[in-house]
Amino acid sequence: MKQPSVGAASARILDLSLGEMLWSRRSVFLALVAGAPVVLAAVVRIATASFGPMEINGAGVTGGALFGLSIWLLYIRFIVPVLGIFYGTSLIADEVDDKTITYLFTRPIPRSAVVFGKYFAYLACTTLLILPSVVLVYLLMASIGGSLGESFPALLADLAMLAVGLAAYGALFAFVGARMKRPLVTGLVFAFGWEPAVLLFPGYLKRLTVAYYLQALVPHAMPSDSAVSILMQVFHDVPPVPVSLASLAVIIAAALWAAGRTVETREYVLEQ
Amino acid sequence: MTTRTRYFVIASLLVLIVGLGTGLVAYYTGFQMTALARRGGPQELQYVPNNVSLVAYADVHAVMTSELRQRVHDAATVTHNGQQEFENQTGINIETDIDHIVACLDPGPQGQEGSGLVLARGRFNDAKIESLMRAHGALVEDYHGKRVITTDRKAESFSVAFVQPGLVAVGSSPLVRKAIDLQSGGDNVTNNDELMGLVRSLESGNAWAVGRFDALRSKAHLPETMTSQIPAISWFSVSSHINGGIRGVIRAETIDEQAATNLRDVLRGFMALAKMQAGAKPEYGAMLQSLELGGTGRTVALSFSVPAQVFDALGQAGHAGAPRHR
Repeated sequence: MKQPSVGAASARILDLSLGEMLWSRRSVFLALVAGAPVVLAAVVRIATASFGPMEINGAGVTGGALFGLSIWLLYIRFIVPVLGIFYGTSLIADEVDDKTITYLFTRPIPRSAVVFGKYFAYLACTTLLILPSVVLVYLLMASIGGSLGESFPALLADLAMLAVGLAAYGALFAFVGARMKRPLVTGLVFAFGWEPAVLLFPGYLKRLTVAYYLQALVPHAMPSDSAVSILMQVFHDVPPVPVSLASLAVIIAAALWAAGRTVETREYVLEQ
Repeated sequence: MTTRTRYFVIASLLVLIVGLGTGLVAYYTGFQMTALARRGGPQELQYVPNNVSLVAYADVHAVMTSELRQRVHDAATVTHNGQQEFENQTGINIETDIDHIVACLDPGPQGQEGSGLVLARGRFNDAKIESLMRAHGALVEDYHGKRVITTDRKAESFSVAFVQPGLVAVGSSPLVRKAIDLQSGGDNVTNNDELMGLVRSLESGNAWAVGRFDALRSKAHLPETMTSQIPAISWFSVSSHINGGIRGVIRAETIDEQAATNLRDVLRGFMALAKMQAGAKPEYGAMLQSLELGGTGRTVALSFSVPAQVFDALGQAGHAGAPRHR
């Protein structure tokens, strides 16, 4: 019997893992994360309709500006990295912890297909939840004091950018999950420690982050909501969009390749 | 894939498709789902020629009766020579006779100075204005059935015309005549899609201005070293609401996205510096904290709010600096 190709095996793993991932206990967290911005947008919409236009620091704010703020503060700075960490690191680590990875590795499929299939299942799961959430926020917020049509090009850019961000963080933390003993801690330190720190200072270190390239794709202006944000804006060094896209593609490809190689070569010792 | 998973995927894709479809239809048809219905600017825009580089509107009545104006009036030691002279020359009291104005600036041909026009809507005593201006040496002529009163100050020709009941055109003579011509139709500024799009996009306020920054800059005769430093802005718009303080939005449209990104970077730097300095001047702190930078693509937007306390502080500083008379 001929061993299925990596692609066919990955597709089978994707089919198997998508349902497991969607209807697991972790999905409650995913639903909360995806639903919170929609609830917030609905509250803002009702408040604006009842009490008049919203003001921040005494200045009137349009729906387009609110939508941009939501993208920055909710999706880019929190939701995308958190989903990448919690789901990406658990792709292989959960199977190891549950001691079920043996069953996957005994199947006549390339080992790397396991991580690829699970990665694409993660991507499908998160994009099918987060992107509709963004669209609902857009429909609720963008028309406040403005028009839906005005913010539509920004919506398309945001959807593409968020999908790329989920893919990049997911691939990176899939590798971390396959390679390291404490992948969750490593992921949290990277996303909420290393990235914000190096983005604050001038120099080349910021090129060793995903956020540096991802933030270059955001069509909205960065909010100045704190002293740290202001400092980040002062040292804001934005690479061109083609460079950012190419760099993120390299990060995704390299991280997935590294995750695949790790799974192929590493001996996972299951704790008794 | 289980049935439950399949239904979830279908539901998600449906939300995406419906949302994107709605946005696409709104984008192409300009469909506005706003609670505030916006008109295409004031009616007086039909008297403004298409080739102007700046159009502005002010709800004079609202501004004159605002708390801010009263505070500025009390705080600032300015004389009213200009306002008084205007009333002496034309018989029009800016504070009581005018409801709102539309003003425009025509840059004129290269090498010549620009000219301006103000269209004022309100209550005017035509006969009194005409007799007052005649007393100051003005000449009256009939132009296409409208009475045009012209004063000739050296090389400048200044005219007042009663375009229709309750609407007075004041400004350079060529522009006043042009406004009269446009009453019967012609190429007015409402045919300028780019400018009218900006007018319609302005938030509701009692004063706004839209203009071509590059045309105004070319007439400003700035030194070369300065013009090379100014960002590549094509259009600008300012919208403000004046009551107890001033709050508004300044928008600039640049020639490309890179220029917009550069302009945002420059403004962020200045804002950061100003906010850091705000600690020494707490009365300006609220104003500086209100600065919010936004905009997407080629548009850079800066929203602001100047509370009335800032004007109080300016007035106190002005009184403190004024020389004492014995």
